Amino acid sequence: MRIRFWGVRGSYPVPGHATNRYGGNTACVEVCPEDGTVLIIDAGTGIRKLGRELMTGPCGRGEGVVHLLISHTHWDHIQGIPFFAPLYVKGNRINIYARQRDVQLKTIFSSQTEDPYFPVSLAEVAADVNYTALIEGEVFAVGSVDVRCARLNHPFIAIGYRLDADGGSVAYVADTAPFDRILFGHQFVAGRPDLDAPLPAEDHAQLRTIRQGVVGICHDSDLVIYDTMFRMQEYLARPHWGHSSPEHALELMQEAQARCLALFHHSPDRSDTDVDVDLQTARQSARCQVIAAQEGAMFEIRDGVRRTN
Amino acid sequence: MDITFWGVRGSIPSPGAEFNRYGGNTSCVSVRTKRGTQLILDAGTGITVLGRHLMRSEFGHGAGQATLLLTHAHWDHIQGFPFFAPIFIPGNRFTIYGSSESPAMVEGILEGQMDPHFSPVHSLRNLGAEIQVLATQDGVTFQVDDLQITGRINPHGGYAARAYRLEQEGSRVVYAPDAGYINDTPTPEIQELYHGASILIHDCTYTPEDQEARRARGHSSIADAARVAALCQVRSLVMFHYDQDYTDDQVDVLQARCREFLDREPGGKTIDLVAAAEGLTISA
Repeated sequence: MRIRFWGVRGSYPVPGHATNRYGGNTACVEVCPEDGTVLIIDAGTGIRKLGRELMTGPCGRGEGVVHLLISHTHWDHIQGIPFFAPLYVKGNRINIYARQRDVQLKTIFSSQTEDPYFPVSLAEVAADVNYTALIEGEVFAVGSVDVRCARLNHPFIAIGYRLDADGGSVAYVADTAPFDRILFGHQFVAGRPDLDAPLPAEDHAQLRTIRQGVVGICHDSDLVIYDTMFRMQEYLARPHWGHSSPEHALELMQEAQARCLALFHHSPDRSDTDVDVDLQTARQSARCQVIAAQEGAMFEIRDGVRRTN
Repeated sequence: MDITFWGVRGSIPSPGAEFNRYGGNTSCVSVRTKRGTQLILDAGTGITVLGRHLMRSEFGHGAGQATLLLTHAHWDHIQGFPFFAPIFIPGNRFTIYGSSESPAMVEGILEGQMDPHFSPVHSLRNLGAEIQVLATQDGVTFQVDDLQITGRINPHGGYAARAYRLEQEGSRVVYAPDAGYINDTPTPEIQELYHGASILIHDCTYTPEDQEARRARGHSSIADAARVAALCQVRSLVMFHYDQDYTDDQVDVLQARCREFLDREPGGKTIDLVAAAEGLTISA
Protein backbone atom coordinates (compact mmCIF):
# COMPACT_ATOMS: atom_id res chain seq x y z
CA MET A 1 0.00 0.00 0.00
CA ARG A 2 1.13 3.54 -0.71
CA ILE A 3 0.11 6.71 1.08
CA ARG A 4 0.37 10.27 -0.15
CA PHE A 5 0.00 13.53 1.75
CA TRP A 6 -2.12 16.24 0.09
CA GLY A 7 -2.60 18.52 3.11
CA VAL A 8 -0.60 18.42 6.35
CA ARG A 9 -1.62 21.64 8.10
CA GLY A 10 -3.95 22.12 11.06
CA SER A 11 -6.52 24.85 11.85
CA TYR A 12 -6.47 26.79 8.57
CA PRO A 13 -4.59 26.89 5.27
CA VAL A 14 -1.42 28.98 5.26
CA PRO A 15 -0.21 30.06 1.82
CA GLY A 16 3.12 31.88 1.54
CA HIS A 17 6.90 31.52 1.17
CA ALA A 18 7.32 30.20 4.70
CA THR A 19 5.29 27.05 4.04
CA ASN A 20 6.21 26.16 0.45
CA ARG A 21 8.21 23.05 1.34
CA TYR A 22 5.93 21.26 3.81
CA GLY A 23 2.82 22.80 2.29
CA GLY A 24 0.03 25.07 3.49
CA ASN A 25 -3.09 22.98 2.77
CA THR A 26 -5.20 21.52 5.57
CA ALA A 27 -5.50 17.80 6.36
CA CYS A 28 -5.89 15.27 3.55
CA VAL A 29 -4.15 11.90 3.12
CA GLU A 30 -4.63 9.45 0.25
CA VAL A 31 -4.27 5.74 0.87
CA CYS A 32 -3.63 3.57 -2.22
CA PRO A 33 -3.88 -0.20 -1.75
CA GLU A 34 -2.77 -2.45 -4.59
CA ASP A 35 -6.35 -3.33 -5.59
CA GLY A 36 -6.94 0.29 -6.70
CA THR A 37 -9.51 1.22 -4.05
CA VAL A 38 -9.64 5.01 -3.75
CA LEU A 39 -9.49 5.84 -0.06
CA ILE A 40 -9.00 9.32 1.37
CA ILE A 41 -8.67 10.36 4.99
CA ASP A 42 -10.01 13.84 5.73
CA ALA A 43 -11.05 16.57 3.34
CA GLY A 44 -9.14 19.72 4.21
CA THR A 45 -8.10 22.02 1.38
CA GLY A 46 -5.54 19.44 0.21
CA ILE A 47 -8.37 17.38 -1.31
CA ARG A 48 -8.82 19.96 -4.07
CA LYS A 49 -5.60 18.95 -5.86
CA LEU A 50 -6.26 15.27 -5.23
CA GLY A 51 -9.70 15.68 -6.80
CA ARG A 52 -8.14 17.22 -9.87
CA GLU A 53 -5.80 14.23 -10.19
CA LEU A 54 -8.65 11.74 -9.72
CA MET A 55 -10.50 13.46 -12.57
CA THR A 56 -7.88 12.06 -14.98
CA GLY A 57 -9.14 8.54 -14.12
CA PRO A 58 -12.59 6.92 -13.72
CA CYS A 59 -13.89 9.94 -11.72
CA GLY A 60 -13.54 12.08 -14.85
CA ARG A 61 -15.85 9.68 -16.72
CA GLY A 62 -18.43 9.38 -13.97
CA GLU A 63 -17.30 5.86 -13.13
CA GLY A 64 -15.38 6.63 -9.94
CA VAL A 65 -15.96 5.22 -6.46
CA VAL A 66 -14.33 7.23 -3.68
CA HIS A 67 -14.24 6.33 0.00
CA LEU A 68 -13.71 9.32 2.25
CA LEU A 69 -12.98 8.69 5.93
CA ILE A 70 -13.49 11.78 8.08
CA SER A 71 -11.82 12.04 11.49
CA HIS A 72 -14.18 14.81 12.65
CA THR A 73 -16.04 17.74 11.16
CA HIS A 74 -13.91 20.69 12.26
CA TRP A 75 -13.37 23.00 9.27
CA ASP A 76 -9.76 22.06 8.60
CA HIS A 77 -10.87 18.46 8.00
CA ILE A 78 -13.87 19.10 5.73
CA GLN A 79 -13.45 22.53 4.12
CA GLY A 80 -12.13 21.09 0.85
CA ILE A 81 -15.27 19.03 0.12
CA PRO A 82 -17.07 21.69 -1.95
CA PHE A 83 -13.94 21.94 -4.12
CA PHE A 84 -13.60 18.17 -4.70
CA ALA A 85 -14.18 17.93 -8.47
CA PRO A 86 -15.46 14.29 -8.59
CA LEU A 87 -18.56 15.45 -6.67
CA TYR A 88 -19.76 17.35 -9.71
CA VAL A 89 -19.67 14.42 -12.15
CA LYS A 90 -22.83 12.33 -12.50
CA GLY A 91 -22.22 8.64 -11.98
CA ASN A 92 -19.46 8.97 -9.39
CA ARG A 93 -20.15 7.45 -6.01
CA ILE A 94 -18.70 9.22 -3.00
CA ASN A 95 -18.97 7.29 0.26
CA ILE A 96 -18.38 9.50 3.29
CA TYR A 97 -17.67 7.84 6.66
CA ALA A 98 -17.62 9.83 9.90
CA ARG A 99 -18.38 9.38 13.56
CA GLN A 100 -22.05 9.50 14.41
CA ARG A 101 -23.31 12.87 15.63
CA ASP A 102 -26.34 14.15 17.45
CA VAL A 103 -27.77 14.99 14.02
CA GLN A 104 -27.55 13.09 10.74
CA LEU A 105 -24.20 13.25 8.94
CA LYS A 106 -25.94 14.45 5.78
CA THR A 107 -27.31 17.44 7.68
CA ILE A 108 -23.90 18.38 9.06
CA PHE A 109 -22.01 17.99 5.80
CA SER A 110 -24.72 19.76 3.79
CA SER A 111 -24.83 22.74 6.11
CA GLN A 112 -21.29 23.65 5.00
CA THR A 113 -22.64 24.53 1.57
CA GLU A 114 -25.93 26.11 2.52
CA ASP A 115 -26.93 29.71 2.09
CA PRO A 116 -25.33 32.09 2.97
CA TYR A 117 -21.96 30.32 3.15
CA PHE A 118 -21.52 28.69 -0.25
CA PRO A 119 -23.22 29.03 -3.64
CA VAL A 120 -23.46 25.32 -4.56
CA SER A 121 -25.42 23.00 -2.26
CA LEU A 122 -23.89 19.61 -1.43
CA ALA A 123 -27.42 18.22 -1.45
CA GLU A 124 -27.62 19.02 -5.18
CA VAL A 125 -24.28 17.75 -6.49
CA ALA A 126 -24.33 15.38 -9.46
CA ALA A 127 -22.45 12.51 -7.83
CA ASP A 128 -24.21 9.99 -5.62
CA VAL A 129 -23.13 10.79 -2.04
CA ASN A 130 -23.67 8.21 0.71
CA TYR A 131 -23.04 8.66 4.41
CA THR A 132 -22.03 6.00 6.92
CA ALA A 133 -22.08 6.86 10.62
CA LEU A 134 -19.30 5.15 12.58
CA ILE A 135 -18.68 4.54 16.24
CA GLU A 136 -15.40 3.76 17.99
CA GLY A 137 -14.61 0.06 17.98
CA GLU A 138 -16.24 -0.44 14.60
CA VAL A 139 -14.48 -2.77 12.13
CA PHE A 140 -15.27 -2.82 8.43
CA ALA A 141 -13.68 -3.40 5.03
CA VAL A 142 -13.29 -0.97 2.13
CA GLY A 143 -12.10 -2.97 -0.87
CA SER A 144 -8.98 -4.80 0.29
CA VAL A 145 -8.49 -2.43 3.23
CA ASP A 146 -9.51 -3.46 6.74
CA VAL A 147 -10.53 -0.43 8.78
CA ARG A 148 -10.77 -0.11 12.56
CA CYS A 149 -11.88 2.97 14.52
CA ALA A 150 -10.94 4.35 17.92
CA ARG A 151 -12.21 7.38 19.77
CA LEU A 152 -9.78 10.29 20.11
CA ASN A 153 -9.69 12.93 22.83
CA HIS A 154 -10.83 16.07 21.01
CA PRO A 155 -13.57 18.69 21.44
CA PHE A 156 -16.85 17.26 20.09
CA ILE A 157 -15.08 13.90 19.59
CA ALA A 158 -12.92 12.75 16.70
CA ILE A 159 -12.08 9.21 15.62
CA GLY A 160 -8.77 7.70 14.57
CA TYR A 161 -8.43 5.00 11.93
CA ARG A 162 -6.27 1.92 11.51
CA LEU A 163 -5.94 0.64 7.96
CA ASP A 164 -4.46 -2.76 7.12
CA ALA A 165 -3.82 -3.78 3.51
CA ASP A 166 -1.25 -5.65 1.43
CA GLY A 167 0.61 -6.77 4.56
CA GLY A 168 1.18 -3.18 5.77
CA SER A 169 -0.59 -0.93 8.26
CA VAL A 170 -1.20 2.75 8.85
CA ALA A 171 -2.85 4.52 11.79
CA TYR A 172 -4.28 8.03 11.46
CA VAL A 173 -4.57 9.81 14.80
CA ALA A 174 -5.79 13.36 14.27
CA ASP A 175 -6.96 15.36 16.08
CA THR A 176 -6.28 14.40 19.65
CA ALA A 177 -5.14 15.78 22.96
CA PRO A 178 -3.14 13.58 25.31
CA PHE A 179 -5.12 11.32 27.58
CA ASP A 180 -4.37 12.52 31.09
CA ARG A 181 -5.58 16.01 32.00
CA ILE A 182 -8.82 16.83 30.18
CA LEU A 183 -11.59 14.58 28.91
CA PHE A 184 -13.15 16.05 25.79
CA GLY A 185 -16.73 15.25 24.92
CA HIS A 186 -19.68 17.30 23.83
CA GLN A 187 -19.15 19.91 26.48
CA PHE A 188 -17.36 23.03 25.33
CA VAL A 189 -14.22 23.93 27.29
CA ALA A 190 -14.13 27.72 27.03
CA GLY A 191 -10.92 28.49 28.90
CA ARG A 192 -7.71 26.89 30.06
CA PRO A 193 -8.52 24.59 32.98
CA ASP A 194 -6.24 24.10 35.98
CA LEU A 195 -4.04 21.21 34.87
CA ASP A 196 -3.10 20.33 38.45
CA ALA A 197 -6.70 20.02 39.65
CA PRO A 198 -7.63 16.38 40.22
CA LEU A 199 -9.87 14.82 37.57
CA PRO A 200 -13.09 13.02 38.57
CA ALA A 201 -12.50 9.26 38.77
CA GLU A 202 -14.94 8.52 35.93
CA ASP A 203 -13.10 10.96 33.64
CA HIS A 204 -9.85 9.18 34.49
CA ALA A 205 -11.38 5.83 33.71
CA GLN A 206 -12.80 7.06 30.42
CA LEU A 207 -9.50 8.62 29.38
CA ARG A 208 -7.75 5.33 30.17
CA THR A 209 -10.20 3.52 27.91
CA ILE A 210 -9.73 6.08 25.12
CA ARG A 211 -5.97 5.78 25.39
CA GLN A 212 -6.14 1.99 25.25
CA GLY A 213 -8.18 2.28 22.07
CA VAL A 214 -5.62 4.59 20.47
CA VAL A 215 -2.72 2.35 21.52
CA GLY A 216 -4.76 -0.49 20.03
CA ILE A 217 -5.09 1.03 16.56
CA CYS A 218 -1.41 2.05 16.58
CA HIS A 219 -0.16 -1.32 17.87
CA ASP A 220 2.63 -2.81 15.79
CA SER A 221 1.79 -0.55 12.85
CA ASP A 222 4.25 0.45 10.16
CA LEU A 223 3.24 4.10 10.15
CA VAL A 224 1.38 6.32 12.61
CA ILE A 225 0.23 9.74 11.36
CA TYR A 226 -0.26 11.75 14.55
CA ASP A 227 -1.54 15.21 15.52
CA THR A 228 1.62 16.97 16.73
CA MET A 229 0.40 20.53 16.26
CA PHE A 230 1.76 21.82 19.55
CA ARG A 231 5.19 22.24 20.98
CA MET A 232 5.09 21.28 24.67
CA GLN A 233 4.91 24.87 25.94
CA GLU A 234 2.05 25.58 23.52
CA TYR A 235 0.21 22.52 24.81
CA LEU A 236 0.61 23.72 28.38
CA ALA A 237 -0.77 27.16 27.41
CA ARG A 238 -3.73 25.77 25.43
CA PRO A 239 -4.49 22.24 26.64
CA HIS A 240 -8.19 22.84 26.01
CA TRP A 241 -7.70 23.10 22.22
CA GLY A 242 -7.37 19.33 21.94
CA HIS A 243 -3.98 18.80 20.31
CA SER A 244 -0.75 16.95 21.17
CA SER A 245 2.99 17.53 20.92
CA PRO A 246 5.66 15.24 19.41
CA GLU A 247 6.58 14.16 22.96
CA HIS A 248 3.03 12.93 23.54
CA ALA A 249 3.10 11.08 20.21
CA LEU A 250 6.45 9.43 20.90
CA GLU A 251 5.31 8.19 24.29
CA LEU A 252 2.33 6.53 22.65
CA MET A 253 4.48 5.13 19.81
CA GLN A 254 6.64 3.35 22.32
CA GLU A 255 3.74 1.82 24.18
CA ALA A 256 2.16 0.73 20.88
CA GLN A 257 5.48 -0.58 19.56
CA ALA A 258 4.81 1.17 16.25
CA ARG A 259 7.67 1.66 13.81
CA CYS A 260 7.41 5.06 12.14
CA LEU A 261 5.85 8.31 13.35
CA ALA A 262 4.74 11.01 10.90
CA LEU A 263 4.48 14.42 12.54
CA PHE A 264 1.22 15.81 11.15
CA HIS A 265 -1.29 18.65 11.46
CA HIS A 266 1.50 21.22 11.63
CA SER A 267 0.56 24.46 13.36
CA PRO A 268 -0.25 27.33 10.99
CA ASP A 269 2.34 29.34 12.93
CA ARG A 270 5.10 26.89 11.98
CA SER A 271 7.44 27.79 9.08
CA ASP A 272 9.27 25.12 7.09
CA THR A 273 12.38 25.77 9.16
CA ASP A 274 10.35 25.36 12.36
CA VAL A 275 9.07 21.98 11.15
CA ASP A 276 12.67 20.97 10.38
CA VAL A 277 13.60 21.86 13.96
CA ASP A 278 10.65 19.91 15.40
CA LEU A 279 11.61 16.90 13.28
CA GLN A 280 15.26 16.99 14.43
CA THR A 281 14.22 17.38 18.05
CA ALA A 282 11.80 14.46 17.84
CA ARG A 283 14.40 12.24 16.19
CA GLN A 284 16.88 12.87 19.00
CA SER A 285 14.62 11.28 21.60
CA ALA A 286 12.76 8.78 19.40
CA ARG A 287 13.24 5.03 19.51
CA CYS A 288 11.42 4.70 16.20
CA GLN A 289 11.72 6.23 12.73
CA VAL A 290 10.29 9.78 12.57
CA ILE A 291 9.26 11.74 9.48
CA ALA A 292 7.42 15.04 9.04
CA ALA A 293 4.38 14.88 6.80
CA GLN A 294 4.96 16.93 3.66
CA GLU A 295 2.50 17.89 0.94
CA GLY A 296 3.08 15.81 -2.17
CA ALA A 297 5.28 13.20 -0.45
CA MET A 298 4.45 9.57 -1.25
CA PHE A 299 5.45 6.56 0.84
CA GLU A 300 5.46 2.84 0.20
CA ILE A 301 4.37 0.83 3.25
CA ARG A 302 5.95 -2.58 2.88
CA ASP A 303 8.50 -3.93 5.34
CA GLY A 304 8.81 -0.43 6.74
CA VAL A 305 8.15 3.03 5.36
CA ARG A 306 10.03 4.27 2.32
CA ARG A 307 9.59 7.51 0.42
CA THR A 308 9.06 6.94 -3.28
CA ASN A 309 9.16 10.44 -4.77
CA MET B 1 -5.91 56.46 3.84
CA ASP B 2 -3.37 53.63 3.63
CA ILE B 3 -4.82 50.49 2.07
CA THR B 4 -3.00 47.20 2.63
CA PHE B 5 -3.84 43.86 1.01
CA TRP B 6 -3.65 40.73 3.20
CA GLY B 7 -5.60 38.31 1.01
CA VAL B 8 -6.46 38.78 -2.68
CA ARG B 9 -7.82 35.35 -3.71
CA GLY B 10 -11.37 34.17 -4.28
CA SER B 11 -13.12 30.93 -3.30
CA ILE B 12 -10.43 29.02 -1.39
CA PRO B 13 -6.83 29.68 -0.30
CA SER B 14 -4.10 28.61 -2.73
CA PRO B 15 -0.91 27.55 -0.99
CA GLY B 16 2.08 26.82 -3.23
CA ALA B 17 5.21 28.45 -4.62
CA GLU B 18 3.44 29.34 -7.87
CA PHE B 19 1.12 31.67 -5.90
CA ASN B 20 3.72 33.35 -3.67
CA ARG B 21 4.02 36.70 -5.46
CA TYR B 22 0.36 37.72 -5.45
CA GLY B 23 -0.42 35.48 -2.48
CA GLY B 24 -2.81 32.61 -1.84
CA ASN B 25 -4.91 33.96 1.04
CA THR B 26 -8.60 34.75 0.62
CA SER B 27 -10.06 38.26 0.79
CA CYS B 28 -8.92 40.73 3.41
CA VAL B 29 -7.94 44.40 3.07
CA SER B 30 -7.08 46.84 5.84
CA VAL B 31 -7.51 50.61 5.79
CA ARG B 32 -5.80 52.98 8.19
CA THR B 33 -6.49 56.70 8.25
CA LYS B 34 -4.00 59.38 9.31
CA ARG B 35 -5.92 59.75 12.57
CA GLY B 36 -5.40 56.05 13.23
CA THR B 37 -8.85 54.68 12.45
CA GLN B 38 -8.43 50.97 11.75
CA LEU B 39 -10.87 49.41 9.31
CA ILE B 40 -10.84 45.85 7.96
CA LEU B 41 -12.68 44.77 4.82
CA ASP B 42 -13.66 41.08 4.88
CA ALA B 43 -12.23 38.25 6.93
CA GLY B 44 -10.86 35.66 4.51
CA THR B 45 -7.67 33.85 5.58
CA GLY B 46 -5.68 37.03 4.89
CA ILE B 47 -7.01 38.33 8.21
CA THR B 48 -4.86 35.75 10.05
CA VAL B 49 -1.75 37.43 8.64
CA LEU B 50 -3.14 40.88 9.50
CA GLY B 51 -3.87 39.52 13.00
CA ARG B 52 -0.25 38.51 13.53
CA HIS B 53 0.80 41.97 12.35
CA LEU B 54 -1.66 43.76 14.67
CA MET B 55 -0.56 41.68 17.66
CA ARG B 56 2.72 43.62 17.55
CA SER B 57 0.79 46.87 18.13
CA GLU B 58 -1.76 47.99 20.74
CA PHE B 59 -3.91 44.94 19.86
CA GLY B 60 -1.25 42.73 21.47
CA HIS B 61 -1.97 44.18 24.90
CA GLY B 62 -5.71 44.62 24.66
CA ALA B 63 -5.85 48.30 23.73
CA GLY B 64 -6.81 47.95 20.07
CA GLN B 65 -9.97 49.08 18.36
CA ALA B 66 -11.07 48.23 14.82
CA THR B 67 -14.13 48.00 12.62
CA LEU B 68 -14.69 44.98 10.37
CA LEU B 69 -16.93 45.36 7.32
CA LEU B 70 -18.21 42.14 5.75
CA THR B 71 -19.42 42.21 2.15
CA HIS B 72 -21.23 38.86 2.40
CA ALA B 73 -20.97 35.53 4.20
CA HIS B 74 -19.37 33.24 1.61
CA TRP B 75 -16.53 31.28 3.24
CA ASP B 76 -13.73 33.09 1.45
CA HIS B 77 -14.88 36.32 3.14
CA ILE B 78 -15.34 35.06 6.70
CA GLN B 79 -13.24 31.90 7.15
CA GLY B 80 -10.29 33.66 8.77
CA PHE B 81 -12.32 35.29 11.52
CA PRO B 82 -12.03 32.54 14.20
CA PHE B 83 -8.24 32.63 13.70
CA PHE B 84 -7.81 36.42 13.94
CA ALA B 85 -5.55 36.57 17.00
CA PRO B 86 -6.64 40.01 18.38
CA ILE B 87 -10.20 38.72 19.06
CA PHE B 88 -8.83 36.54 21.86
CA ILE B 89 -7.26 39.44 23.77
CA PRO B 90 -9.53 40.94 26.47
CA GLY B 91 -9.65 44.71 26.15
CA ASN B 92 -9.63 44.84 22.35
CA ARG B 93 -12.84 46.22 20.86
CA PHE B 94 -14.33 45.28 17.50
CA THR B 95 -17.41 46.49 15.68
CA ILE B 96 -18.52 44.15 12.92
CA TYR B 97 -20.84 45.39 10.19
CA GLY B 98 -22.45 42.63 8.12
CA SER B 99 -24.41 42.89 4.91
CA SER B 100 -27.59 41.41 6.38
CA GLU B 101 -30.63 43.45 7.32
CA SER B 102 -30.46 42.81 11.05
CA PRO B 103 -27.65 42.44 13.59
CA ALA B 104 -29.15 39.09 14.66
CA MET B 105 -28.68 37.73 11.14
CA VAL B 106 -25.05 38.88 11.04
CA GLU B 107 -24.42 37.38 14.46
CA GLY B 108 -26.17 34.15 13.41
CA ILE B 109 -23.85 33.84 10.42
CA LEU B 110 -20.73 34.27 12.55
CA GLU B 111 -22.07 31.90 15.23
CA GLY B 112 -22.89 29.34 12.52
CA GLN B 113 -19.26 29.34 11.50
CA MET B 114 -18.29 28.66 15.12
CA ASP B 115 -20.88 25.93 15.71
CA PRO B 116 -19.17 23.26 17.85
CA HIS B 117 -19.60 20.66 15.12
CA PHE B 118 -17.24 22.72 12.97
CA SER B 119 -15.05 24.76 15.27
CA PRO B 120 -13.32 24.40 18.61
CA VAL B 121 -13.66 28.18 18.93
CA HIS B 122 -17.27 28.38 20.00
CA SER B 123 -19.41 31.52 20.16
CA LEU B 124 -18.61 35.21 19.93
CA ARG B 125 -19.14 35.35 23.69
CA ASN B 126 -16.04 33.27 24.42
CA LEU B 127 -13.56 35.22 22.35
CA GLY B 128 -12.12 37.62 24.92
CA ALA B 129 -12.39 40.86 22.99
CA GLU B 130 -15.51 42.99 23.17
CA ILE B 131 -17.49 42.48 19.97
CA GLN B 132 -20.43 44.50 18.74
CA VAL B 133 -22.32 43.21 15.72
CA LEU B 134 -24.30 45.61 13.53
CA ALA B 135 -26.16 45.45 10.23
CA THR B 136 -25.88 47.87 7.32
CA GLN B 137 -28.72 49.27 5.26
CA ASP B 138 -28.48 49.57 1.50
CA GLY B 139 -27.48 53.09 0.51
CA VAL B 140 -27.51 54.48 4.04
CA THR B 141 -24.26 56.28 4.90
CA PHE B 142 -22.77 55.75 8.35
CA GLN B 143 -19.75 57.13 10.14
CA VAL B 144 -16.80 55.23 11.59
CA ASP B 145 -14.62 57.85 13.27
CA ASP B 146 -13.29 60.01 10.42
CA LEU B 147 -14.61 57.73 7.64
CA GLN B 148 -17.97 58.00 5.91
CA ILE B 149 -19.14 54.60 4.69
CA THR B 150 -21.89 53.66 2.24
CA GLY B 151 -22.82 50.13 1.20
CA ARG B 152 -24.73 49.01 -1.90
CA ILE B 153 -25.83 45.59 -3.10
CA ASN B 154 -24.25 43.91 -6.11
CA PRO B 155 -25.67 40.74 -7.67
CA HIS B 156 -23.39 37.76 -7.05
CA GLY B 157 -24.68 34.58 -8.67
CA GLY B 158 -27.83 33.56 -6.86
CA TYR B 159 -26.71 35.69 -3.97
CA ALA B 160 -25.78 39.31 -3.27
CA ALA B 161 -22.63 40.98 -2.01
CA ARG B 162 -22.23 44.47 -0.65
CA ALA B 163 -19.83 46.95 -2.20
CA TYR B 164 -18.57 49.63 0.23
CA ARG B 165 -17.46 53.19 -0.42
CA LEU B 166 -15.17 54.83 2.13
CA GLU B 167 -14.86 58.61 2.01
CA GLN B 168 -12.53 60.91 3.83
CA GLU B 169 -11.35 64.43 2.98
CA GLY B 170 -12.21 64.10 -0.70
CA SER B 171 -10.68 60.63 -1.08
CA ARG B 172 -13.06 57.89 -2.15
CA VAL B 173 -12.11 54.25 -1.95
CA VAL B 174 -14.55 51.62 -3.20
CA TYR B 175 -14.30 47.92 -2.34
CA ALA B 176 -16.35 45.65 -4.62
CA PRO B 177 -14.81 42.19 -4.33
CA ASP B 178 -17.69 40.09 -5.71
CA ALA B 179 -19.84 41.44 -8.53
CA GLY B 180 -21.67 39.52 -11.26
CA TYR B 181 -23.51 42.28 -13.09
CA ILE B 182 -26.84 41.51 -14.73
CA ASN B 183 -26.46 42.01 -18.51
CA ASP B 184 -22.90 43.16 -17.81
CA THR B 185 -24.18 46.46 -16.39
CA PRO B 186 -24.03 47.74 -12.81
CA THR B 187 -27.23 49.21 -11.37
CA PRO B 188 -27.54 53.03 -11.36
CA GLU B 189 -27.06 52.93 -7.57
CA ILE B 190 -23.81 51.00 -7.91
CA GLN B 191 -22.60 53.32 -10.67
CA GLU B 192 -23.26 56.25 -8.39
CA LEU B 193 -21.34 54.50 -5.58
CA TYR B 194 -18.30 53.89 -7.81
CA HIS B 195 -18.43 57.25 -9.58
CA GLY B 196 -15.25 59.31 -9.36
CA ALA B 197 -13.56 56.92 -6.93
CA SER B 198 -9.88 57.58 -6.26
CA ILE B 199 -9.45 53.82 -5.99
CA LEU B 200 -11.83 51.08 -7.11
CA ILE B 201 -10.88 47.65 -5.74
CA HIS B 202 -12.88 45.39 -8.05
CA ASP B 203 -13.69 41.73 -8.60
CA CYS B 204 -11.33 40.46 -11.34
CA THR B 205 -11.88 36.75 -10.79
CA TYR B 206 -11.74 35.64 -14.41
CA THR B 207 -10.49 36.15 -17.93
CA PRO B 208 -13.50 36.76 -20.24
CA GLU B 209 -13.07 33.20 -21.60
CA ASP B 210 -13.11 31.51 -18.17
CA GLN B 211 -16.01 33.70 -17.07
CA GLU B 212 -18.09 32.49 -20.02
CA ALA B 213 -17.86 28.91 -18.75
CA ARG B 214 -18.74 29.95 -15.17
CA ARG B 215 -21.44 32.57 -15.58
CA ALA B 216 -23.57 31.19 -12.75
CA ARG B 217 -20.85 31.94 -10.19
CA GLY B 218 -21.56 35.66 -10.40
CA HIS B 219 -18.09 37.11 -10.79
CA SER B 220 -16.60 39.79 -13.01
CA SER B 221 -13.98 39.33 -15.68
CA ILE B 222 -11.11 41.75 -16.22
CA ALA B 223 -13.11 43.14 -19.16
CA ASP B 224 -16.09 43.89 -16.88
CA ALA B 225 -13.82 45.60 -14.36
CA ALA B 226 -12.17 47.73 -17.06
CA ARG B 227 -15.53 48.72 -18.57
CA VAL B 228 -17.03 49.65 -15.20
CA ALA B 229 -13.93 51.59 -14.13
CA ALA B 230 -14.09 53.70 -17.30
CA LEU B 231 -17.87 54.11 -17.13
CA CYS B 232 -17.63 55.41 -13.56
CA GLN B 233 -14.55 57.54 -14.27
CA VAL B 234 -12.43 56.20 -11.44
CA ARG B 235 -8.83 57.32 -11.08
CA SER B 236 -7.33 53.97 -10.26
CA LEU B 237 -8.52 50.37 -10.72
CA VAL B 238 -7.20 47.64 -8.43
CA MET B 239 -7.65 44.05 -9.64
CA PHE B 240 -8.79 41.75 -6.83
CA HIS B 241 -10.24 38.30 -5.95
CA TYR B 242 -8.31 36.20 -8.48
CA ASP B 243 -9.50 32.68 -9.25
CA GLN B 244 -7.77 30.18 -6.95
CA ASP B 245 -6.13 28.38 -9.88
CA TYR B 246 -4.44 31.41 -11.51
CA THR B 247 -0.70 31.26 -10.88
CA ASP B 248 1.43 34.38 -10.48
CA ASP B 249 2.41 34.22 -14.15
CA GLN B 250 -1.25 34.02 -15.14
CA VAL B 251 -2.10 37.04 -12.98
CA ASP B 252 0.71 38.93 -14.77
CA VAL B 253 -1.06 38.15 -18.05
CA LEU B 254 -4.42 39.07 -16.50
CA GLN B 255 -3.00 42.49 -15.65
CA ALA B 256 -1.53 43.05 -19.12
CA ARG B 257 -4.84 42.11 -20.72
CA CYS B 258 -6.83 44.28 -18.27
CA ARG B 259 -4.61 47.22 -19.30
CA GLU B 260 -5.52 46.56 -22.93
CA PHE B 261 -9.23 46.42 -22.09
CA LEU B 262 -8.90 49.71 -20.17
CA ASP B 263 -7.06 51.41 -23.05
CA ARG B 264 -9.91 50.55 -25.40
CA GLU B 265 -12.55 52.19 -23.18
CA PRO B 266 -13.39 55.91 -23.58
CA GLY B 267 -11.30 57.72 -20.97
CA GLY B 268 -9.68 54.43 -19.95
CA LYS B 269 -6.12 55.34 -20.90
CA THR B 270 -5.74 57.71 -17.96
CA ILE B 271 -6.91 55.15 -15.39
CA ASP B 272 -4.08 53.62 -13.35
CA LEU B 273 -4.12 49.86 -13.04
CA VAL B 274 -2.79 47.95 -10.04
CA ALA B 275 -2.90 44.19 -9.45
CA ALA B 276 -3.55 43.61 -5.74
CA ALA B 277 -0.89 41.50 -4.07
CA GLU B 278 -0.46 40.36 -0.49
CA GLY B 279 1.62 42.86 1.48
CA LEU B 280 1.06 45.72 -1.00
CA THR B 281 0.11 49.11 0.49
CA ILE B 282 -1.34 51.94 -1.58
CA SER B 283 -2.44 55.40 -0.47
CA ALA B 284 -5.58 57.36 -1.30
